[in-house]
Amino acid sequence: MKERISQLMDGELDERSAADAIAACGRGGDALETWRTYHLISDGMRDTRVLSAGFSARLAERLAAEPTVLAPRRSRAESRTWFVASAAASFAAVGLVGWLAFAPQPGNAPAQIAEVQKINTQEMPPVLVPPPSAANDYLLAHQGFSPRVSFQGMAPYVRSVSSPGRESRK
Amino acid sequence: MTLGRALGLSALLCAGMAQAQSQSPEALGWLRKIHDATHKLSYAGTFVYRNGSRSETSRITRLVDASGSIEKVEVMDGVPREIVRTHDTVRCYLPEARVVKVERQADHRGTERGFPALLPERISALARHYDISLGQADRVAGLDCQTVKLTPKDNLRYGHTLYADMKTGMLLKAETLDAKGEVIEQFSFTEFRVGAVPRERLKTRHATQAWRVEDSGATPANLAGAGWGLSSELPGFRKVTELRRRVGEAGSVGQVVYSDGLAAVSVFIEPLEGRRDPVRTGLASIGAIHIYTREVARHMVTVVGEAPAASVQRIANAVEFRRPQQ
Repeated sequence: MKERISQLMDGELDERSAADAIAACGRGGDALETWRTYHLISDGMRDTRVLSAGFSARLAERLAAEPTVLAPRRSRAESRTWFVASAAASFAAVGLVGWLAFAPQPGNAPAQIAEVQKINTQEMPPVLVPPPSAANDYLLAHQGFSPRVSFQGMAPYVRSVSSPGRESRK
Repeated sequence: MTLGRALGLSALLCAGMAQAQSQSPEALGWLRKIHDATHKLSYAGTFVYRNGSRSETSRITRLVDASGSIEKVEVMDGVPREIVRTHDTVRCYLPEARVVKVERQADHRGTERGFPALLPERISALARHYDISLGQADRVAGLDCQTVKLTPKDNLRYGHTLYADMKTGMLLKAETLDAKGEVIEQFSFTEFRVGAVPRERLKTRHATQAWRVEDSGATPANLAGAGWGLSSELPGFRKVTELRRRVGEAGSVGQVVYSDGLAAVSVFIEPLEGRRDPVRTGLASIGAIHIYTREVARHMVTVVGEAPAASVQRIANAVEFRRPQQ
């Protein structure tokens, strides 16, 4: 299914297969997740503004929390529709501006792509690792140069890494 | 309220807050008062350090008299530790490991160890990167306090709320806030008393004759001249000092410190030769401190700073080695 969704995004499926793939996404589960992940990847590669994880879920939640129209009050219903439509339009606009801003210009395209890729590598979310074994030594070495000491005296020196087994005996 | 109206209202609120946050001479005055109290007061107290779910209680004692100042912190929870500062030396006593770690001031330009970067005249320069404003009155450890808020002008540094004793100016509570305004780290006195204590009480309680001494042996160094630098600096962070030193058991380690006047970031550079463990590239967090490790030109680069993860990572990623021109 992953391959099919990739082909769908690239417009390589015929009408029937495309309909099947779209239907699969519509049913949720892995297919939908793949669809989202692939879009996130492609956004990342183009440096389009990436929405935070769970954005669609939170938006749906906020919309669901909006007051439900029980009586057929025209004006209210209209304004709500307008809001949803305009929200969709502004997301589209953000996407378009993002795309135009970062679209490679003819002529110096490779350099620009390289630049965008460099930015991407730098801004990539870091891999989380446990503090290095010498973390407390680095903290002690660093602390004396922190101007905070000017306001707080020695208090910041208590910052340390506490391991579950406490500090190893040497 | 519709989402649209909520957004509009919060935009209005933000605009209002921005106006209220213009620099006030009173707020800068309070920062100077805190700074002076930190240097001039003799006191004893108990404070709690919190980050996330972790909290640790410590005793702090400081004495200023004709023969200079001396300060001692004893950590009461977890691994026992005592940190004593005299003149230009900080000693960290670790009774379980029977080790004393010694940090000596590398040069004598500063007046006192630990206070090299923020001189009173530089306090107003903080306004370049932070909005400094007076907050409400509050109470900490039974004492009336004035709050001072430092709100960063960008997302490269953390915000701070400082609670200063109305009477003495002593900092009784300090909160570090992230971009969302959530407290990520806090120091808070639970008990505080001004007044001199006998000098004996500021010495270590341990007999340390048989302990191993790990002296940092810090000396000023020219790491830029040796080829180390940043390909791009982090806005507002300037190089404060460059040293050669030992860190724990590691041999010669280069340390370059960058600071915006309040937050500091250290870059440690050590050769990979002789290292047992491979370098694990990545980020670790301890409260408001982030540590980012990576390998550059057969060296392990460890960046440590009380700044948002992205700032620490940006400095780490900018570290480069260029072979010096002969």
